[in-house]
Amino acid sequence: MIRFQRLVKRFGTRTILKGLSFEIQEGEILFVLGTSGTGKSVLLKNIVGLLRPDEGEIWIDGQEVSRLSEEQYFPIRKKCGMVFQHPALFDSLTVFENVAFGLRKHYRLPEDEIRTRVRECLALVNLTGIEQKMPAEISYGMQKRVSLARTVAVEPRILLFDEPTTGLDPVTTNAVNQLIFDLSRKLKTTSIVVSHDMHCALAIADRIIVLDQGQIVAQGTPEELKACEVPLVKDFLSEALEAGLEEGKI
Amino acid sequence: MIAGFRAIVDDVGGGLLFLGQMFSTALHYRPKSHVVFDQIWKVTLNSLSTTALAGFFVGAIMTVQFTLQVKEFGALGYLGGLATSGTIREVGPLLIAFMLSGKVGAFTSAELGTMRVTEQIDAVRCLGANPFQEIILPRYIAIILSSFFLLAVGLFMSIAGGLLLGVVFSGITAEEYLRHIPTIVTLPSIVSGLFKCLVFALVLASICTYKGFTTTGGAKGVGRAVVATAVATMVGLVIADFVTTLIAEAILSMAMQA
Ligand SMILES: Nc1ncnc2c1ncn2[C@@H]1O[C@H](COP(=O)(O)OP(=O)(O)O)[C@@H](O)[C@H]1O
Ligand SMILES: [Mg+2]
Repeated sequence: MIRFQRLVKRFGTRTILKGLSFEIQEGEILFVLGTSGTGKSVLLKNIVGLLRPDEGEIWIDGQEVSRLSEEQYFPIRKKCGMVFQHPALFDSLTVFENVAFGLRKHYRLPEDEIRTRVRECLALVNLTGIEQKMPAEISYGMQKRVSLARTVAVEPRILLFDEPTTGLDPVTTNAVNQLIFDLSRKLKTTSIVVSHDMHCALAIADRIIVLDQGQIVAQGTPEELKACEVPLVKDFLSEALEAGLEEGKI
Repeated sequence: MIAGFRAIVDDVGGGLLFLGQMFSTALHYRPKSHVVFDQIWKVTLNSLSTTALAGFFVGAIMTVQFTLQVKEFGALGYLGGLATSGTIREVGPLLIAFMLSGKVGAFTSAELGTMRVTEQIDAVRCLGANPFQEIILPRYIAIILSSFFLLAVGLFMSIAGGLLLGVVFSGITAEEYLRHIPTIVTLPSIVSGLFKCLVFALVLASICTYKGFTTTGGAKGVGRAVVATAVATMVGLVIADFVTTLIAEAILSMAMQA
């Protein structure tokens, strides 16, 4: 379980997150929607300790984490994996070594076990036979999926996705959404998904939060959001409809 | 004006904190030696020809300059010694370090900056590793070692450049050119030249890793980081040159008195 209490994050004189409070239950899929630059990535980075809040508290499994030191944060990052907005693959390592990286750092495993695990995780995102390629040699969509495999490989119980489907084609988008859904249902992974995509939020989210300028302007289940009168939410909703996509297709 | 001053103080302070973090990492973890050697190999190979060429021409220029001056006094015999001493102690390290800052410095800050803005550095931390240990420290060590080596090669080439111009331009024999080098270029002046090279290597490595590591703001940010690296390195080198000259002079005069 993750709980935020009056989370405030500033950069210089600009306040990006203005006192956010909310909770995510175990096994839940929470979508965080919002326009670009409202601080969605900043929010996720606060959870994994890449950024630290200026005020407020973050509780992960009953532990307040925002004041932990970098070393104390390592175990948190083991159970709390993040998939970045960029593929963020290490360009000097092969795809195999990229996926194995977290396994080597977080666990001490024999080499053949690592090999099996890497192959499993790549298969999970429908990638086979590219282990020895360099990141620059594969397409952007493939890079994003390798990045997903790299995070999942560590078997975190909490997964944070920063725009996992932005820039992907519709087929891959569906596959990635399906994967997020499966992970959460089969492995009871808790997921926070940052996205612009109201359509897939409605399809797979348990709960949705809409952020605007660092504040929560709406939250609730997909059904509750559909009835929401906040202008920004209505914009998101109408876009989901305009795209000509039917709900619940996934 | 005051804001500008504060920005500079902030920058220097941030840089010192960065170095502190790197040294504390260095105390606790040893970077993998094969990664360090990879980096050394890359940096050296990338810049060897450029520095050798730069060194050669610095030596050549110095010889031409000195020729015009010593000729009046009929002291061409001292040309080799004077030109070499001036090159090794003063302009050689500085000019070659400028050259290196354009190559190694720009390359490193662009590489680290790209890793920063594409979230690779964040990913390293999230996957349970320390970016100082994995990324920064190997590069820092490699840049210092290879820059020092490259500067020394550049200085050596400057002697060759000076010698060639001494023969071609000033019309003295190689033997004449070389004769007074050992008498004027004393061991202390070689040491002070190499000391400068070491300090310059430190300045170069510190600034480009710091600027690259702290890049923000996407692809434009990488561009800004590279420019900031170039400017800060040039200024840093000139200041370091001034300071090391003072130190070297002080030590030399102490050695003379003793
Ligand atoms: N490290 C940082 N330093 C300064 N400003 C930052 C930093 N990271 C993000 N910001 C600013 O915070 C705001 C929110 O960024 P972000 O969370 O990336 O937005 P998004 O919701 O699109 O993910 C942006 O205006 C960005 O410029
Ligand atoms: Mg973002």
